Amino acid sequence: MEIEFKKINGDSPGYILTVIVLAIITILGLYAYILDHTIGGLSGLSNRVPWGIVNAGIPYFIGLSAGSLIVSALVGVFNIKKYKVFSRMAAFLAAAWIIAAILSIAIDIGKLYHFANAVKYFNPTSIFSWNAFLYSSYFVICCIYLLAQFEEMERFTRFMAGLAVFWAVLVHSGTGAIYGYIYARELYHSAITPPMFIVCAITSGLGLLIATMYITFKVTKRDLDVNLVRGLAKIFLGLNFILAYFLIDEALEKGYIPGLHDALNFVFFNPSESIFWSFWLLLILGIAIPCLIVVIPKTGHDLRWLSIGGVLHAALVFAERFYLIVPGQVYPAEYLPGYELESLHTLEGYIVSYTPTLIEWAQVIGLFAMVYLIFVIGLKVFAILPEKATEEVVEE
Amino acid sequence: MVSRRKFLILAGAATAATILPIQISAVPQSSESSSKADLKRRWAMVVDVAKCTECMEELIRETGNPEIKPPCVLACDKENNVPEFEDKRIDPQWLRIAKFKAKYSSKEFFAPLLCNHCEHPPCEQVCLTKATFQRPDGIVEIDMHRCIGCRYCMIACPYGARSFNFKDPLEGLKEVNPKVPMRCEGVVEKCTFCVHRVDEAVAKGVNPEPACVEACRLFGKGALMFGNIKDPESEVSKVLQEHAYVQLRAELGTGPHVFYINL
Repeated sequence: MEIEFKKINGDSPGYILTVIVLAIITILGLYAYILDHTIGGLSGLSNRVPWGIVNAGIPYFIGLSAGSLIVSALVGVFNIKKYKVFSRMAAFLAAAWIIAAILSIAIDIGKLYHFANAVKYFNPTSIFSWNAFLYSSYFVICCIYLLAQFEEMERFTRFMAGLAVFWAVLVHSGTGAIYGYIYARELYHSAITPPMFIVCAITSGLGLLIATMYITFKVTKRDLDVNLVRGLAKIFLGLNFILAYFLIDEALEKGYIPGLHDALNFVFFNPSESIFWSFWLLLILGIAIPCLIVVIPKTGHDLRWLSIGGVLHAALVFAERFYLIVPGQVYPAEYLPGYELESLHTLEGYIVSYTPTLIEWAQVIGLFAMVYLIFVIGLKVFAILPEKATEEVVEE
Repeated sequence: MVSRRKFLILAGAATAATILPIQISAVPQSSESSSKADLKRRWAMVVDVAKCTECMEELIRETGNPEIKPPCVLACDKENNVPEFEDKRIDPQWLRIAKFKAKYSSKEFFAPLLCNHCEHPPCEQVCLTKATFQRPDGIVEIDMHRCIGCRYCMIACPYGARSFNFKDPLEGLKEVNPKVPMRCEGVVEKCTFCVHRVDEAVAKGVNPEPACVEACRLFGKGALMFGNIKDPESEVSKVLQEHAYVQLRAELGTGPHVFYINL
């Protein structure tokens, strides 16, 4: 049976209300950004912690995008035909997430007016500079891939799927390298950040995709076969183990260095700091519980539970970004071995806490709402949703 | 639905749009580096920690203020239009004094912290737009018109030398020195080794002296020295010949050009 993709009518009060609510949250995010940049000093950032949660939004949204796209391209690359029902939706979301990622760069930088310089001047030694090129080309690839699917160009779609996966890996490795290659901060410096970013991208992208699918299919009254979703959930489970493995391996390796013991004590065993919670909640709520949900037969075969697991994981992956970006800035560096330092005129040498303010949260949540606004409108404008997603449809 | 022709035009245009900027910007990359090696000048600073400590201890004793700004810091602030904000979290500071405490003895000393004008500046390496660049004479500068304020350089700098303008610096300034370009809100700034003074002095054929070094000589204990490390007859070269020196975080291989002696 041929899969039939259809636009939704989008004229129910529920649909209109969803659009309005998402639009309001998006506009509030924009307003928060304007306030932040006109008044100044409304964020929790400082000269010691110049990168906060708006910056964390960059890898987070790129991760969700890369994850979505890789899932979508499974059909093309590995020829797993049964996932074709999801491939348009996932590719569409991937394009929307990358818009959010590029926008989070735009709202994070101090001088939006100079933003064009990021494309005008290219610094080959800057990973971020490469990424400016990678992100924009990635968005184009997403769009072409999606168009190829709309046009039902089968061979071209398969080619684009392959290219899209390759590009998604490249883009997200590049993003990981932005942080991992910083050798001046011991807590940043790590060769496994790029591969960990890839794994994390797929798990978070997949987690959110499962939940998005469940809700979309339910609201639009379409059939969604739990066995199809279960297939994705198993990939989600496997990759979560790999993510946990990377995180633990990294923590143990750092813990092996006596010079880092104080810093690690601060990161892992100091519940008064949000860093502590970002790590442990990620491990427990973000990885262990979602894995249990998939493994336990009762919850593992229930779309609602799988969606909860997916959302929990995707939400806590934001904490993972926080855990990767913030501690390396908060904990002071040792300028001269054997000596402690206290600056008289700045906060160097001191632990400078970072607590994100409401203004910062509003910007991140605003971008999140924007993606779903694009998605909800996309459901009406483009034929991205299958009529139904059940075994009988996918068995060709 | 999009027609095939329209689709191909769209796809082509989009690809061109992504590749073109790279093509355009590929031109100005390689012009500076060739002249680097054969240049006669490489600016560096030497700090006599013993003298600096003497000055700071005296000042703190006299004023009772443990966070007193010594003449060098005041001169730097004034010369370079470095604003003063009450909130230390966002207050930019090019030159600052730090107290170093030994871990295994009770020894304490004071020393200034500033941009190290590294041989291999990590800030320049990561700068997205080449807003941060290194001059052939080693001075690392920021072109604030190019800076997009992404703060990647602040993350990459091992010496915490960079400040972000969370607010318009004019709000924190009483007077403006017209000789130094004014920065705006949303960009990063840092010590330039008083590059305007350096250029002026080189043009006149005299030895340059950054504002902090001058203030330290006139009102402090003469703890700071500045000069051309490639000239064996310069004061800094001679002092480094005679003393063991320490560079901050030298193990990173950045090649910092602020040297500390008499620790």
